[in-house]
Amino acid sequence: MLVRFWGTRGSLPVALTAPSVRQKIVGALAAANGMRFDDADAIDRFVDELGFAAGATYGGATPCVELEVQGPSYIICDMGSGLRSFGLDSIRRNAEGHARAYNFFLSHLHWDHIMGFPFFTPAFDPEAQIRIHSAHPDAEQALRRQQEEISFPVPFDWLRADIAFVTMAEGQPIEVDGLVVEAKAQKHSHVSYGYRFTDRDGCITIYSTDSEHKPSDMEDEAAFIDFFRDADLVVCDTMYSLAESVSMKEDWGHSSNIVAIDLCHEAGAKRLALFHHEPTYEDEDIQRMHEESIRYEQLTRERSPLDVICAYDGLEVRI
Amino acid sequence: MDCTLEVGEDAVILKVIGRVDEATWNSFSEGLSGAVRNARDDGLTRLIVDLQQLAYMSSRGLRALTVAKREADEAGVNISLASPNDVMREILAISRYDKLFTVTDTAEAKR
Ligand SMILES: [Zn+2]
Ligand SMILES: [Zn+2]
Repeated sequence: MLVRFWGTRGSLPVALTAPSVRQKIVGALAAANGMRFDDADAIDRFVDELGFAAGATYGGATPCVELEVQGPSYIICDMGSGLRSFGLDSIRRNAEGHARAYNFFLSHLHWDHIMGFPFFTPAFDPEAQIRIHSAHPDAEQALRRQQEEISFPVPFDWLRADIAFVTMAEGQPIEVDGLVVEAKAQKHSHVSYGYRFTDRDGCITIYSTDSEHKPSDMEDEAAFIDFFRDADLVVCDTMYSLAESVSMKEDWGHSSNIVAIDLCHEAGAKRLALFHHEPTYEDEDIQRMHEESIRYEQLTRERSPLDVICAYDGLEVRI
Repeated sequence: MDCTLEVGEDAVILKVIGRVDEATWNSFSEGLSGAVRNARDDGLTRLIVDLQQLAYMSSRGLRALTVAKREADEAGVNISLASPNDVMREILAISRYDKLFTVTDTAEAKR
C-alpha cells in the first residue's frame, strides 16, 4: 500500500508568504557561506542537511489523503483543498490507463474536509465514476449546499460524472476493490468518523482526523486502541498540545501529539503520521512539534518502537 | 505505581512512586481524588504532588491530573507538582503542562 498526502493542514488552507520564503533562502545561503558544490547531488545533500523547515515546507492544503492499493480504483480520504491537485494528477494517470473510478471516504462534512470538491476536475468527466462513502447520511446535502449559487457559480447538478453516495454504518465493514473498510465514530462537532483500511496483503492504515480524546472519557479509549490495533500506519489529528486540548481548546474537537503516541503505543501500531496541522503554525513550529513527538515516544516507550513521522503535502509513505 | 499520602500543617502531599501509564492511571486518578477530598476535609488549600520517585507519566497520568485539578478547583484546593526528574520535566514541557501547573523543585510543606 502506498499512502500519498495531498493536504495535511487543518481548518483553513494556508500558503507560505514572501517573507518566509525569503527567510529560508537567506538561511540556506548563510549556511552555505564559503562552501563549494561539485554537482547537483552535492547541493541536494546540503539541502537535506539544512532540516525540513529550512529547506522545504509542510504545505498548506487541507486534508486529502490517497491510498494506492491493488484494486483498479482510486481510494481517497476527504476532499480538502488538496483534492484539487490530486484531481489534476489523476487525469494525468487516467491518460496512462488508470481506471476513472474514484472511491471517497469522508471523515466528516466540515468545510476544510469538503472544500476541494467544487475544484475536482474529474467530476466533470462523463466517463468518471465517483462513489462518496460517508457515515453521515447528510453528506450529499453538504456537498450540494456548498455549490449553491450563493457560494459557488457551478451547481452540483452540472457535474457530468456518475456520482453516487454510499452511507456506511459504524461496526459494519464494507469491501471496495478487495479493501476492507471499517468506520468508527469519533468525538467532534456533528461527529467525525475514523476509517480502518485493510488491504489483501493484510496491510492496515488508519485515518483518524478531527477526533478529540477528552480526559473525562479515558475509559472509552479501549475502543480506539482496538481500532488502531497492529496498524502499519496511523494518520492522526495532532493539532494541539495536550495542555491546549484540555484547557482553552477543550471541546474544539481535536487531539494532541502525545495522546496519539500513547494510543499507538497501546495499540502496537508501527508508524504514526502527525496530521491536521494548526494553520497558525509556521514550518519551524511544526518541525519542533515533530521533534518533541519523537522525543516523547522515546521517553515513554515500553514495548516496540513507534516510528513518528510528520505528514506534509506531497509526502508518500510505502507500507 | 504506588501513592502515599501525608498530611502536613498547611498542605497535603501525595507521593507518587513508579510510573503512571495505561495500566496504572486509574489508581493514580483515585489517589489524586482521595488527596483532594482529604485536603478539603482538613480545611487545607494546597495539594502537592511529589514526583521525586516517579519514573514518568504518559498522557494518561497528565489527563488524570487535569480531572483532579477540576475537582480541586471546586474544593478550593490548589494542586502543584514537585521534584520531577529530568524525564518528567521533559514530558511536562512537551505536553505544555508546565503552563497549566506550578512546578517546584522541592515538596515543601509545614509539618
Ligand atoms: Zn478539520
Ligand atoms: Zn472538523
